[in-house]
Amino acid sequence: MLTHEAQRQRERILELLEHEGGVTEESVRRVHKETGVPEADIWGTGMFYTLINKPGRRVRICDGLTCQMAGADQLSADLEAKGLPCERVSCLAQCDRAPATLDEDLELVTYHGKETGVTPDDPGLPMNLGGPVDESYSSFARAKELGAEAVIEILKESGLQGRGGAGFPAHFKWSSVLAQAEAERYVICNADEGEPGTFKDREILLRQPTKMLEGLAIAAQAIGAKDIYIYIRGEFTNERRSLEKAIEIAKEKIAPIKIHVALGHGAYICGEETALIEALEGKRGMPRLKPPYPTEKGFRNKPTLMHNVETACCIPAIVDRGGEWFKKLGKTEAGSKLYCISGHVNRPGVYELPLGASLDELVDAAGGYEGNPQAFSPGGASSGFLPMTYRDLPLDYKNLADAGSMLGSAGVVVLNDSVDMAEAVKWQLIFFERESCGQCAPCRIGTRYLRRQVDQYVQLGDTAPLTYAEDVAWEMEEGSICGLGMVAAKPLESAQKHFPDAFKVR
Amino acid sequence: MIKSNSFTVEINGQTYSADAGETVYEVAQRNGVEIPTLCHDPRLDPAGACRVCLVEVEGQRRLQPGCAWKVDADMKIQTESDRISRHRQVLYSMYMSDHRTDEEGGLPEETGNVNQLRELCATIDPIPLEKVEAPRAARPGDDNPYIEFDPELCILCARCTRYCDEVEAVNAITLAERGSETTIATAGQRSLIDTSCELCGGCIDTCPTGALIEKKAPKLMPLETKTTRTTCNFCGVGCQMDLHTHNNRLVKITSPAPGETLNDGNLCVKGRFAYDFVHHEDRLTEPLIRREDGQLHPATWDEAIKVASEGMNRVKAKYGSDALGFVSSSRCTIEENYLMQKLSRAAFGTNNIHQCAAT
Repeated sequence: MLTHEAQRQRERILELLEHEGGVTEESVRRVHKETGVPEADIWGTGMFYTLINKPGRRVRICDGLTCQMAGADQLSADLEAKGLPCERVSCLAQCDRAPATLDEDLELVTYHGKETGVTPDDPGLPMNLGGPVDESYSSFARAKELGAEAVIEILKESGLQGRGGAGFPAHFKWSSVLAQAEAERYVICNADEGEPGTFKDREILLRQPTKMLEGLAIAAQAIGAKDIYIYIRGEFTNERRSLEKAIEIAKEKIAPIKIHVALGHGAYICGEETALIEALEGKRGMPRLKPPYPTEKGFRNKPTLMHNVETACCIPAIVDRGGEWFKKLGKTEAGSKLYCISGHVNRPGVYELPLGASLDELVDAAGGYEGNPQAFSPGGASSGFLPMTYRDLPLDYKNLADAGSMLGSAGVVVLNDSVDMAEAVKWQLIFFERESCGQCAPCRIGTRYLRRQVDQYVQLGDTAPLTYAEDVAWEMEEGSICGLGMVAAKPLESAQKHFPDAFKVR
Repeated sequence: MIKSNSFTVEINGQTYSADAGETVYEVAQRNGVEIPTLCHDPRLDPAGACRVCLVEVEGQRRLQPGCAWKVDADMKIQTESDRISRHRQVLYSMYMSDHRTDEEGGLPEETGNVNQLRELCATIDPIPLEKVEAPRAARPGDDNPYIEFDPELCILCARCTRYCDEVEAVNAITLAERGSETTIATAGQRSLIDTSCELCGGCIDTCPTGALIEKKAPKLMPLETKTTRTTCNFCGVGCQMDLHTHNNRLVKITSPAPGETLNDGNLCVKGRFAYDFVHHEDRLTEPLIRREDGQLHPATWDEAIKVASEGMNRVKAKYGSDALGFVSSSRCTIEENYLMQKLSRAAFGTNNIHQCAAT
C-alpha cells in the first residue's frame, strides 16, 4: 500500500510524461526524480497509453467502422504519399465527420465532411443541444434547497438510466455512496468517449458543458463530495477548451466544490469505470476485479460516484421539472436520449429523441438513408450488427438486449449494401484487438485470434479459419474480466448469425 | 446484528467451515478441493488475471475467480461442471495458441523449470487453434548474468512484476505495452543490471511457466536430479534452500515453496545464484598450513587450529593483547559472533573485536 504522499505523486506521472513529450528513457528518469515513483512503473504505465508511448509528431487517422467506410485507408495513403507520417488510431469520436483526422497538435481536420446536424432548439428537451446556454445554476440552487434525499427521490422517479452504456438506474449509485461510512467521497465524470460510432458526449462538451457541470455539482452536493474529477479523452482538444471555459464560470457558482480536469492519454479501455480510476491514479488502465464497486471503493479507495457526460447532463432538467416529466419523455423507457448516427445516412449527427425511437425515426431526423441500407450497428462496436428487419425495433436498453445486441452508448452506424459485412466485422475486431488492455487471457488472446482468423477469411474466402471462432467467442464472454472482452466477439457473432451469406466460401 | 466471523460454505455439495475474509480458493485448498490456477501466489494480492480458477458461485451470473472471491455465510460454490469444463478446455487451448509448444498442436514447452500450463493442458482435449503470434518483446540486450526472460513462454500473469513490487519492493520490472503486445519490461528495456533489480531471482521462482529461468542452469533439466534441503550459509538469517544436483554436480538452487520455511519462498542473489564456488578448482576443501619451506601443506583441523593459536599467543606474549585484533564475518550467526568476541575478550584479553557488517 502506497503512502498518501506516494499516491499523490503517482497520480501526476501521466501528465508529467505528456509535458515531457512522451515516454523516453530520459523523460522517465526525470519524472522518476521529480516524483519518486519507480522508473519501471513510470515506463510500464506510460507505454500503455497511445498518445504518449511513441514520442514524435504525426497525423492521426481514425480507422473506426464509419471512417473506414468513408475511405480512411485511401486518405491515409494519400497523406503518406505527400510525405505526412500517419498513424492509424482507434475511433476519434468524430464519426459524423468521417474520415476523422487529427493533425500533429491533436486539432481536428476535416477532409470530406458531409453536412452534419443536431436536434434544433426545443425548450422541451432536457439536454437541448441546439438551445441556449443557461449559466444561472438555478437547478443546483434548487437541489441544495431540496436536500439529498428529495433529489435522489426525484432521480428515482425519473427512471434515468446511466447513459454510458450499462443502463444501470442512476439513483442506485447515489444511494450506495451515501450509505458508505467513509466521509471522503468523489464524483467522477466519464468523458472518455471512444466507442466506435459514438460522439454524443463530444456535442455536450461543445454545446452544453454547463448542464453537465451543473448535474455533477448537484450529484456532489447530494452525496457530500468536495471534489469532482472530469476525465476527458486526450484527443478532445476543442471539447477541452469549451469545457474549461464553462468551468471558469462554474467555479464560483458551485464553490466550495472543486472541479478537476484530468486528460486521457489514449486508451479506450479507460472508459470502463475501474480502468478510468486506475488511470486517474497514475496506473495502467487495467480494469479492477469487482466487487468492490467504485461506490464502495473507487478513486483513492474512497466511495466514488461516476457518471457519463450525458447522464450528468440530464440531471438539472430533472431536478427542475420533476422525475415524472422526464420519464414521460421516453417512448419505451424513461427520458430522452442522445442518439449518434453516422455511416450511410445523409446528415449524420446527434439527435435527442424519445428513448425507444426506432432506426427509421432516427434516420428520418438525419435526413434519410444514403443508398440501400443492409445493416446497422445500434450501440457502438460492442453491440454487433443487426439486419434491416430490425428497423422498427425500439432502440432502448431492454429491446436491444432481448435482440442479442445492446443500446450501449447509442452510437448508431448504418451500413448500406456497398459494404462487405465480413470486412466490417474485421474493422471492428481490429479495434478490440488494439484496445484490449491485455490483462486477462480470454480477451488478450481472443481479440487477436478472432481478428487474425477473420483476416484470413477475408483474404482467402475459405471458411476453415472460422471453425473454432464460436468456442473462442464463448470463452471471451465467459472468462474475461471486464465488458470489453465480454462483447469483443459480438461483431463477428452477430454478423455470422444475421448475414450468413457474407461468411460462405467465396 | 453482528455477523459471525465463522460460518459454513458449500463447495460441490460438501459443507466446509470458513472464516470471513477467506477466498474460495483458500477454503477449497485447505479442504483438499483442487482449483487450478496460474496467477495465484499466496504472497501476493490476488490478481484474478489468468482466469484459470473461475468457479460458479450461486447467485452470480458470471463465473468468478476463486483466488479473489471472498466467501460469505452459506455461499454455494461449484468447482466442477460442464460449463467450467468447457471454460477450461477453451481457455487452455487459447493459452496454447499463444505459447511455444513442443510441436504444432503439442503441449506447452517445458524448459529449465516446471511449466504448470503444460500440466493443465495435459488434462484437456485441446482445440487445435492456430497460433496468434503475439508480438511480445523480449530484452535481447539484457546482459545480466542470472535471469533470462523468454516471452514465448510468458502468459502475462504478472506474478513476477507483482512479486518484485509487493514482496521485494524493488519494482525493477513492469508490464509494458498493451493488448497482445503486453510484455514484461524494464524501464527503457535496459539490462536488469542497469535497473533497481537486486537479482534476487524471486521472479524466476514465482513464474508458473518457465518464461523466467536461470541463465546458467541447464535449459532442459536432466530428468534425474536429486534435491537436498540445506541452510544457506551466506548470512545468519538461515534461509532454507533446495540444492538440485545431477551426477554429484550442483546445477540449480531454488527456495522451498512459500509458507514452507522461514524464508517464505524467497532467496537473495547470493543464496540463489552464488554457487559457482562449489565446484571451482580454486576452492579450499581442507585446512592448509604454510610450513617453513614457504609452501602450503594439507593438514587436519586440529593441527591448523593449534598452529593458529600458537601464533596468536606468540604475538600476545611479545607485544601484548592489544596487538591482536579479531574480525568476525557477516556470514556468521549472532551466536557465532558472540563466541568470537568472547574469544577475543576472555581468551586473548583484548577489546579489539569487530564485525564486518558493523560499519
